[in-house]
Amino acid sequence: MKITELLLTGIILLPVSGIILMLLWRKASKTQAAIVAIISEGFAFVIPIILLAELRTGQPVSFSVPWIPMLGISFSLELNWLSLVFLLTEVLVTLAAMVYSLGEKRGEKASNFYYSLLLLFSLGMSGTTLAEDVFLFYVFWELMLIASVLLILIWGSGKNRSRVALKYFIITHIGSLMVLVCLITLQVQTGTASLTALAQRASSLPIGMQQFLILFFLIGFCVKMAIFPLHIWLPDAHTVAPMPVTIVLAAAMLAMGAYGILRFPIALFPVQSMQPFVIWMMVAGVFSEIYGALMALAEKHVKRIIAYSSVSQMGYILFGLGSLTAQGIMGGVMHVVYHAIVKTLLFMVVGIVLHAAREKYIQDLGGMAKLLPVTTICAAIGVLGISAMPPLGIFTSEWMIFTGGFRSGYPVFLTVISLIGSLFTVFYALRFFGKIFLGELKPSDSTGNPNKALLVPTIAVTVFLLVEGLAPAPLLTWVMRGLSTVFGGAY
Amino acid sequence: MSGSFSVVLPIVILVGGAFGITSITMFLRLKNKAAAVLTLLILLSALAALTHVVGRAPDPSQSASAFYGVLSPDGILFKIDYLGVYLIFVAILVGIFVSVYSGESLSRDHRFVLYYPLILLTISGLLGLFFSTDLFNIFLWVELTTVSSSALIAFRYQHEAAVKAGFKYLIMSGLGGMIMMLGVYFTYRSSGSLALSVISDHTDLFTRIGAGCFLVGFWIKAGVFPLHTWVPDVYSKAPSAISGLLAGVMSKSMLFLAPAVCLRLGMSSSELGLFYILFACVNMLFGSIRLLKQDNLRRFLAYSSIAHTGYLMFALGIGFLYELEAAITAGLFLFVSGAVMKSLAFLAAGIYEYYLHSSDVEDLKGVYRRMSLPAVTGSIALAGLAGIPILAGFNGKWLVFSAVLEISDPTALLGLALFLLSSVISLGGYLPMLAVQFQPSNGDRSDNTDVPVRDRISIWMALPIAGLVALVVLLGVIPSPWLRVIDWIMNWVSLL
Repeated sequence: MKITELLLTGIILLPVSGIILMLLWRKASKTQAAIVAIISEGFAFVIPIILLAELRTGQPVSFSVPWIPMLGISFSLELNWLSLVFLLTEVLVTLAAMVYSLGEKRGEKASNFYYSLLLLFSLGMSGTTLAEDVFLFYVFWELMLIASVLLILIWGSGKNRSRVALKYFIITHIGSLMVLVCLITLQVQTGTASLTALAQRASSLPIGMQQFLILFFLIGFCVKMAIFPLHIWLPDAHTVAPMPVTIVLAAAMLAMGAYGILRFPIALFPVQSMQPFVIWMMVAGVFSEIYGALMALAEKHVKRIIAYSSVSQMGYILFGLGSLTAQGIMGGVMHVVYHAIVKTLLFMVVGIVLHAAREKYIQDLGGMAKLLPVTTICAAIGVLGISAMPPLGIFTSEWMIFTGGFRSGYPVFLTVISLIGSLFTVFYALRFFGKIFLGELKPSDSTGNPNKALLVPTIAVTVFLLVEGLAPAPLLTWVMRGLSTVFGGAY
Repeated sequence: MSGSFSVVLPIVILVGGAFGITSITMFLRLKNKAAAVLTLLILLSALAALTHVVGRAPDPSQSASAFYGVLSPDGILFKIDYLGVYLIFVAILVGIFVSVYSGESLSRDHRFVLYYPLILLTISGLLGLFFSTDLFNIFLWVELTTVSSSALIAFRYQHEAAVKAGFKYLIMSGLGGMIMMLGVYFTYRSSGSLALSVISDHTDLFTRIGAGCFLVGFWIKAGVFPLHTWVPDVYSKAPSAISGLLAGVMSKSMLFLAPAVCLRLGMSSSELGLFYILFACVNMLFGSIRLLKQDNLRRFLAYSSIAHTGYLMFALGIGFLYELEAAITAGLFLFVSGAVMKSLAFLAAGIYEYYLHSSDVEDLKGVYRRMSLPAVTGSIALAGLAGIPILAGFNGKWLVFSAVLEISDPTALLGLALFLLSSVISLGGYLPMLAVQFQPSNGDRSDNTDVPVRDRISIWMALPIAGLVALVVLLGVIPSPWLRVIDWIMNWVSLL
């Protein structure tokens, strides 16, 4: 076994060890559990960085052992440039959420279980991005769902958390089952479960079957992305979940749907088979973008405002991917990263505000800038970020998405609508900032001292957002390499 | 008599063991735990004998050591049936867990003397059913399982509901037996023989009617909709361990036995497959819809069992209709995964009944704080039954889906769509049932305090539960060894 293979398995096995350790360490305090979780998750961040050198040689890092030989299923992992981008994004988001959890009241009891579930959640996403076998992909895909449902169910707020968790589970599971049907069909019809081999063989399937698979894949992954009208699980789940879980849900998990679309319908099937779906992906993207923004504009619950913002932002990503142009897809992938950073920041800000003001409706808030000056600066940068103000990252990704839209060969008005729709993002972002931070201070019993455990990660994410925006080149290079490795120049 | 006595040795051990245990327990005034250990030893002996039989006669069609009895068409003959060996192996495995568990769960009952022999007789009845080669013997063994199972269901006779459940099962199974007897009549009238090997060469309309009668009879015992009426009462009122054995193994075995008989009586594979698929769809939907509204854990598991009967029938039906070995393999895997998951769920529910005297959902709120073992293990069972990776149920689902998508026929795809619909509907039941155990209680029990009083679960109950959890996880994570066993079994099974 080569050292690179060993390291690759470490991305999965070290968090697993952390989970086992925490489950056994029942008397661990919250800080102790957090330290174990952060160290375990830290490995999932450090290892891919170490493996960058290997990736630069031009070959993906892979590892494979037979798992269920009779069914042709193997435990195969592969780290390539595309999976690297998604992997690092979700690991960093989870790390930020773990640190942020230290300042949250939730998870005080049974914190070993809480942090092990957070690790499991991240493990599901890491495995999803690294899986090179359809069976393994689905196993990790479901692990991600189960961990998040349990986190909402046990640590969620409000009496209706069971109902919300059930709704979230059932709706996203329906999407998962559609993906499952596609994965099994692919394996049965092509005789292989390996994604690399599928990329060679899937195009030989009858065109009707290819389009059936593309349709099911798209619907299944769009459920995870919470694209309108498949988003109905998202607002409630994001509102009820504890803030760190909301951060991971919104900033990382939604992006897994985009990864699925990239790895399956786009990477496996020829452009001709995808062509009939282009217009529908773009239309769904535009609808989602505008609907999410309008709902965020109308919403009064601060957490739900940012939740609906996710529906809107996922619309941009789907629009970019749907354009099937190099710029659009690249923009979509970069938007995943930038959205993750901005969304993490905004939810962290919301968490601090809720903590200080003890009010959750926007009309009951105001003037928080007087109490929380540092948080206000972070919020301002986050709001500018989501509004796609240059030089912050989302400006770059949206630019590429819209360029992709114009070059897609489909009526220009779609892209124009999308562009105009982005104005609503600015509206809801400014409303969010103005109502909460500007004006007269209310309520009167607000406390002005945000917990440092909440503030430190928030500042760190803000700095990261600024750095990423000012220096997008490394990410751009990774994404370009990722797309060329996976798609082999098809787009 | 000719052939090898070792063929009937497992039956002899089980039946002899049943009488032996009764005598020894009565004369030596053994306690419940000692009787449980004796049962465990007998079951292990039967398992060893079964393994020995299989090892000695790898090919039943070639080897003289594969049968025992009188070889003439009218003689009583037992023959190794590899499908039966597989199912009995699982039955004995579950029986072992049930026996150890009963070492504690029965400690408050005075009539344990009869309990363990009845378990042994029930399992021996199943073995006899599969090893029999003529209709009359099949009928006799069916009756043996009916009587012993009914007695087990009504074991806690001081509870009126248990007696009613036992009586209901007796009536329904008795009806099934009568219909089978009618099948025997039609078959004998036409072929003049009761030996399956003779009848299979002379099938006609009457033998086919006979096949239909046997199908209905076996389906009653399997609890197939609309003949399922006994299922909810029996599984919720019988001792919980017995419910696990019945729901996990005994009833599902009938779904394999029916084809073994009916196909030899002239029913075609496609007819059988179509019947199976049709009723499978009704079963899965009925079970999954009804389980949503249950307020008692064991009744919930009963309806879940009806849904799982549907899943198993669907896999087998696809296998018969399209003569697809992969679907039968999926069915055999579903059988073992269902057996361990269902037994685990019922044993966990039994712990609640033993310590809390209730398995009502209302009483289980926040029970995790008081008893973490059944809450966690029961949840693993429920998650497995819901088909969540990396547990046994998911692999079963994967195998069924793979088989169906291999043929891509509209009927099969429609069935698969209903399968998916049913599994989504049932999630609406599994998740709340799983969650309720971890939610804060609104009652006035000890869990209102910060440090709840924890019940110490007996090791007699904890061990079998741990064993079953290990199996549920192992079948999910490392299914290959078991799939190899199924593959080996499939070499000798001529269901298709």
